[in-house]
Amino acid sequence: MSPSPPSEPVIAMENISRRFGSIVAVEGVTLAIYAGEVTALVGDNGAGKSTLIKILTGVYPPTTGQIYFKGKPVQITSPRMARDLGIETVYQDLALVPLMSVARNFFLGREPVKTIGPFRFLDLKTMQERTAAALRDIGIEKFSGGRSVNEPVGKLSGGERQSVAIGRAVYFGASVLILDEPTSALSVAETEKVLYYTQRAKERGLAVIFISHNMSHVMRVADRYIVMRHGRQVADYRKGELTEQDLAALVTGEREQ
Amino acid sequence: MSLLFERTRPLAFGSRIDRLRDLFLRSPIAGPLATLVVVFVLLSFVPNFLTLRSVAGIVNAATLTGFIAVGVTLLMIAGEFDLSVGSIMAMAGYVFGFHVVAGGSPWVGLLLALLVAGTMGLINGLILVRTGIPSFLITLGTQFMYTGVLWFYSRSQMLQITEDLPAFAILNGRITWLSTWLPGANFRTAFLWLVLLVIIMQVVLVRTRFGNHVFATGGNKAAAAAQGVLVHRIKLACFVISGMCAGLAGVMLFAQFKTVRIATGAGQELQAIAAAVVGGTLLSGGSGSIVGALIGVLLISMLRTGVVLTDIISADNFTAVVGVTIVGAAILNNVIRQRR
Repeated sequence: MSPSPPSEPVIAMENISRRFGSIVAVEGVTLAIYAGEVTALVGDNGAGKSTLIKILTGVYPPTTGQIYFKGKPVQITSPRMARDLGIETVYQDLALVPLMSVARNFFLGREPVKTIGPFRFLDLKTMQERTAAALRDIGIEKFSGGRSVNEPVGKLSGGERQSVAIGRAVYFGASVLILDEPTSALSVAETEKVLYYTQRAKERGLAVIFISHNMSHVMRVADRYIVMRHGRQVADYRKGELTEQDLAALVTGEREQ
Repeated sequence: MSLLFERTRPLAFGSRIDRLRDLFLRSPIAGPLATLVVVFVLLSFVPNFLTLRSVAGIVNAATLTGFIAVGVTLLMIAGEFDLSVGSIMAMAGYVFGFHVVAGGSPWVGLLLALLVAGTMGLINGLILVRTGIPSFLITLGTQFMYTGVLWFYSRSQMLQITEDLPAFAILNGRITWLSTWLPGANFRTAFLWLVLLVIIMQVVLVRTRFGNHVFATGGNKAAAAAQGVLVHRIKLACFVISGMCAGLAGVMLFAQFKTVRIATGAGQELQAIAAAVVGGTLLSGGSGSIVGALIGVLLISMLRTGVVLTDIISADNFTAVVGVTIVGAAILNNVIRQRR
């Protein structure tokens, strides 16, 4: 059942549990995430996916268990620390600031500055040029020519926003990219784009964790499927080892393993 | 202009008119500026309005609220409110006044007043980040608390001096050479300090990391935090700046009138919020400009003068006109925002 590791995992979680009072949200999860792979994390509402991701991104500490990042044991105590390690999360709604421009969002928290005397000013020109180039690089053509990187993010479609957030993670050298329900509110055409950029991120050697309810999107994009139910990890399969129906059955509990 | 504002998209091609219209529409102060010009043109038909004396009067009456509006606007962009600015203004006036009355240096008095005002802002901010209670509610409370402290500190007395200090002339004195050269141009130095403060704060807002983080914190706090923006620290800094701006208003008031009362500054918080909104700042945070707030206070002051001069409604009832302006400006800003 366990897949043969292609190399050393980027992230290894060992026996991770998390309790909230008497509620057990995650129970004894042990898994490994590898570079250049899309690992799908599937499960019904309340299966523990979100809690597991929040443990990985420093929102909650695990009650028990150990996380290894590139082989070294780590304690991820804040979202900032997760990001400094190279773990980037693209949330459905929380990724960008709608009233700010694409370029300002792209560099938010990592703005390049020019020093003039004792003062440091934003290097807006560099921000705009690099944003356009980076987005073009992962195949987002809309922003070539530096035209729309100054438009507010609020003017972009849902898929374009996800794409910008993915492009940002790739540009800043993330080694792990977590996509939380990236396609749930998107049209078919928009979904296609996001799945395409997910592939591009993977081809660039990132370890991608793809969380979704949509089995057909998962089947198309993922190389590995990890299924969670009632806080436990119940299955771990590689691409081709099971059908969409099998996966759905594992999620609902119709099939045990 | 390009230092103060960021182009949101490249200029449209086409005729000069198209380009000018485009340049105007995408500027964040398009709405406020248009309103200011329209109101000015309309009021210029009112007898005695279009005189240097009246214009100087409008500017002088707007100046003190202007200082408060700078800080309040920054705070609103960061997504928070400060209703205690009026009581901070009065407290700073007393701190400065007591120091000067005791024979201290007015410059040390200025620093002390700013220190106290900044601390009062910091207290507002600390309560916010520790409790998460809406700042509207917190500062509604601290407004009364600060006034309560002021009753003790002021010994329930109005403070007044007769002496004229050279520092008063620098802080908020008449520009005598100008009014002798141009009779009626009774401008005061505080307006120059206000313009300087507006320019500095506007540059800080659109051209620095701090400013970028202020927009992000007000626009989407969770997204900003996820990108490593220290949102609590940004909010604290904005509260301190807002307090210090109100403190400056208190010092400028004392330098002009040489008196301060406990009730000084009452109602200033709503005037400042009104100026911010008229100037294009969103009540919901994440968008706005300091230059817009300056236009906002000037517009409100201009309407006050207009109401007094036209004598259609009683001067005491001018707040009704302010009300109409706020709603009108909010609608106009919305229309322009959607066109952009």
